[in-house]
Amino acid sequence: MDSLPLPTSLDEVLHLVRALYAPNPPKTIGMIQEVLQRLQKSDQGWQLVQSLMLQPDNNTKFFAALTIIVKLNLENKNLSEDDAKELLQNTIGWTLQSMGDGTGDFVIKKLCSALVTHYIFFSDVWPRCVRQLLTCLDLGRTAPVEALDDSVETSTLVSGLDAQKMALAIHFATVLVEEVGKTEMSSPKFVQINERLVRNTPDVTCLLARAFDRITEGYAKQAMACYQAWILYAQRVPQNGPLVESLRNLVAPAMKCFPFDDLFEDTAGLFTEVLQNYSTFLTKPQQEAVFTIFHSQWGYGHYSRLKEDAWDRDAMLYGMLMLAYGEATVQDLITSTDPQKQSFLGYLVGILNVKGYLVSDDPIFVNALDFWSVFVETMVDTAFSNEGAPQPWRPYADDHLRNVVMHCWQKIQWPPVEEFAQWDSADRQAFVEIRKDVIDMLQSLFTLNGVTLVSYFVNLYLESLQKQSWAEVEATLYCLGGLSDCVTEEAKYDNELSRVFSLPFFNLVGQVAGPIPLRLRQTGLSLIEKYCEYFERHSEFLPHSLNLLFAAIEDSALRAASARSISTLCSSCRSILTGEAATFINHYRTIRSGQVLDSITEEKIVHAIACIIQAIQDETLRLTMFEELYGNMSQDVERAAKLKAQPDILDLSDPNFSRGLENWSAPQPIPPPEEIAKQIALRALRCISSMAKGMQDIQEHVVELDSDTAPVPREGRLAGIQAGIVRLMVAARAMFDTSGEIAETICNIFKAGFSETEPGPFVFPPDVVTDYFVQQPVSAPRLGTTLSTACSFIGSLYRGPRMLVPSHLARLLPWAISILQSLPEPESDTEITQNAINLVEKILPKYPSVVFEQPSQLLEFFFLFTLRVLDGKEPLPKGAAADFWSVFISLKLEDPALQSRVASAMEALGPLFTNSLIRNIGGNAMRSELDKLSDPLKKLVVQQSRAQMWLESALRDLSSSHVTAADKSVFLKRVLGLRGARQTNQVVRDFWLACRGSNFAYVS
Amino acid sequence: MALCQNRLQEERKQWRKDHPFGFYARPQKNAQGVLDLKVWECGIPGKEKTIWEGGLFKLTVTFPDEYPTKPPKCKFTPPLFHPNVYPSGTVCLSILNEEEAWRPAITIKQILLGVQDLLDDPNPESPAQAEAYNLFKKDRVEYERRIKRIVRENAAP
Repeated sequence: MDSLPLPTSLDEVLHLVRALYAPNPPKTIGMIQEVLQRLQKSDQGWQLVQSLMLQPDNNTKFFAALTIIVKLNLENKNLSEDDAKELLQNTIGWTLQSMGDGTGDFVIKKLCSALVTHYIFFSDVWPRCVRQLLTCLDLGRTAPVEALDDSVETSTLVSGLDAQKMALAIHFATVLVEEVGKTEMSSPKFVQINERLVRNTPDVTCLLARAFDRITEGYAKQAMACYQAWILYAQRVPQNGPLVESLRNLVAPAMKCFPFDDLFEDTAGLFTEVLQNYSTFLTKPQQEAVFTIFHSQWGYGHYSRLKEDAWDRDAMLYGMLMLAYGEATVQDLITSTDPQKQSFLGYLVGILNVKGYLVSDDPIFVNALDFWSVFVETMVDTAFSNEGAPQPWRPYADDHLRNVVMHCWQKIQWPPVEEFAQWDSADRQAFVEIRKDVIDMLQSLFTLNGVTLVSYFVNLYLESLQKQSWAEVEATLYCLGGLSDCVTEEAKYDNELSRVFSLPFFNLVGQVAGPIPLRLRQTGLSLIEKYCEYFERHSEFLPHSLNLLFAAIEDSALRAASARSISTLCSSCRSILTGEAATFINHYRTIRSGQVLDSITEEKIVHAIACIIQAIQDETLRLTMFEELYGNMSQDVERAAKLKAQPDILDLSDPNFSRGLENWSAPQPIPPPEEIAKQIALRALRCISSMAKGMQDIQEHVVELDSDTAPVPREGRLAGIQAGIVRLMVAARAMFDTSGEIAETICNIFKAGFSETEPGPFVFPPDVVTDYFVQQPVSAPRLGTTLSTACSFIGSLYRGPRMLVPSHLARLLPWAISILQSLPEPESDTEITQNAINLVEKILPKYPSVVFEQPSQLLEFFFLFTLRVLDGKEPLPKGAAADFWSVFISLKLEDPALQSRVASAMEALGPLFTNSLIRNIGGNAMRSELDKLSDPLKKLVVQQSRAQMWLESALRDLSSSHVTAADKSVFLKRVLGLRGARQTNQVVRDFWLACRGSNFAYVS
Repeated sequence: MALCQNRLQEERKQWRKDHPFGFYARPQKNAQGVLDLKVWECGIPGKEKTIWEGGLFKLTVTFPDEYPTKPPKCKFTPPLFHPNVYPSGTVCLSILNEEEAWRPAITIKQILLGVQDLLDDPNPESPAQAEAYNLFKKDRVEYERRIKRIVRENAAP
């Protein structure tokens, strides 16, 4: 942007200033602003102020005042004390003059700001600035600072000021405290100014007292804001005793403003804020004075209006004041039996019950609920910390809480559907959130009232059921559901719950057509899930509830909740439900033949049924049921294969095919048959994976480590089933050989069997698993995940009979390394790199012979590969490599032949590894990697006799412009001296910092 | 210790007064039902208009005795598929790291919002689990499909 030349005459300046405030294109304004700023900063700036102040128009004067501020901020250091005094005199003079000659208010306010800025830099010139300004206002002219004395009381001074002068003084006192308050109080630079400001407090209180005394003169509103700013400031001042004392004198005068309509908002705002954030500001008698409001006729008027209309602004503010008072004195309110306090609590209960629906009609409920949550939590603390002590207040508190619960219950009832539909989305969301907040409060209350609370809701349920008041029934069930986390298995709770879980409840929830709202059915279904432990103990209704839940699956609105409940119930009550397996499989078949379920729901159902099958004691029956269920999935995979081979058999009206369209939605084009076939197969595999999880045994069995056989059948029905599953997985992998999701799901199926100790359809013979892994070519998708699954498999081998282990490891190890060999770069697939290194690291300490029996070429590749990884940038593989080296360095071997192979490997690789390690510690690594990298360093120092030599050499080779040879040798000395102790990590950290060139001084 | 408790009391108060939609955060209860302020159970909803929308993920936040000098530990339970979540479920985020961006003034609300932001905006500089990190880097389409599935599995009620 071109810049304008500096103006050469006052006229030019005036012209520019006028143009600055006139409508002009932004570019022009920018240019004018730039030149005027240059002018402000120039040596002529002060002179300019003088001239501009003499001008008649407001904008020019405003610009002059602004110039004072700019120059003070930039050049305060260039002003002598005399300059500062002169500037002060002038600025006060201009201010007074402006007040008398009709200058705009905004100019006068800007001049006030200029005075405050002056005080920030020159508070020593006029430490009692408020008094100075008041004196000048009283005289109607500027007075030298030296002339300030206390011959006239400040109160006398202010009593003579007219409304305009009062308003100005109050404005100044407000801006003053706000601006000084922004300084860093504890920093030495600002300590003095803050001390000087505090010395102004008596003058400010005189000023404000006068303002509160003359409420009708129009500046009390401003005075209230000023008062609030001073209190806020006082809260932050350390050792604020006298300051607070002084400000407290204004509490009573300020309270007198309450009854004035135009002052109510500000007054209530001030007291609410103080009570919420700084309640100790008010003395006990002052708190009591506030309390009297709540019992005044006037106060009650506001309260009554609040009950009728919570959107009435003043009434709402009044409610907030009551709640703030309640919270500030909650401890006292809980333990007091004083009738007035009790009646006040009664009012606070009533705020939960103002007219209308939550949020849209009643915005204050949420605040009132907040208060009552604090009340309950404080009461819990009080009750538990004084256990055994008499609690005469308890019946009163319980009484209030009963009403609190009742109002909350009323408020969280769903409005009629038509009403709810009219709310905007924020209100709807808020409604749902408040329901949860109510549960939060009820859970705290449960700690105090336990079974009484449950019993209360059970009674409410029975009453509302009788009345067929569905919104009430729903709210009751919702509250009961909320308490499920708290309710224990004690009989007293079961007795209560049995009054709910009976035929009428199941009829209610199961009613498909009829007047029962959907929400009620949803809440009812989730109640079953929440109390699934109850059903474990009371199995008589279990099959009934499950049949209900299966029926509800057909309804898309209830599906998610029902599937969750089915899964939870079947999993935890499996042994009771074994007789139902066939029925549930039929349910499942019926549902899937009629419609396409979403896959998550379907997987939950399949998981649930598998849980039951797992618990069937009789093996024949168990396997029969398994095959029944599994048959659905194997048919799906067969169908997928057929569809892939013959695309023309696709019939999308058949749910068996359309289930392959789950990821599709209009208006996208329908995917090709092959893609549909893949989705069908993938869904089937995911269901099998869910079955595998369901079939996991939940009981623990002892494992015989020294036995020489695995707990897997080689023949018979189970072996046949297993062979079928493996065939299916291998076929699916081959058919859709680029699908990462299929490869991943197969891994999940395998994984589910690894933790098992008893035979089962998914507890495959280890050679089958190993076969699968080693047959995965380097081109297979998601090999990283497959390798990680192989690591889990090795873990499971270690938990089984020892005999079998080495032969499997000897096949898995070269496979994993060969995958690494196929990588173009160690970092081209971090998951593969990390997991393959992990795999070797898992084998090395337990079966070192398996590792060292590998061809030396393969091993050499692997070791050098790990060094390349260490020198790379990827944190996860680097961490794996560091772990691997930690293990390798500390390897202890009994076999001398093996020991000598390891020693010669170490001899060759040790220096290379040390170089790489030092490069990392010498600045290459990220800070977060240092702990990981310190580990092999510690091992090296402790385990390897040549560590010192290697480290010396590596440090010599480390090029760093920030550390000297002496620094390096101090580092080495420290590391060696620590002998692998934990403090090595800190030494490493310090050295790394030094190498990175921080200001770290390396002292020995 | 007292500082830790006082601060957590205050955090609880502030959270109750003002918390973002869809989130929850409450201290765990001990056996007697009294709140243990040092362990919070929280729920993080997936952000609107992202692939995480509709999900609700459970997070356990554990505060050390030195809190707020030291940051709390945030752990997804069960562990979450995400590049910056360790296999244990622990979240790797600069504002939760004492040596990085943690400041004692950071509130629970800010932490939970920070974790929510992280969901859809992973930091590839600090990978914490290989699987999600690798898929995120190498196959964004499959990564997103996976996230969408996780969201459906953890649908907000």
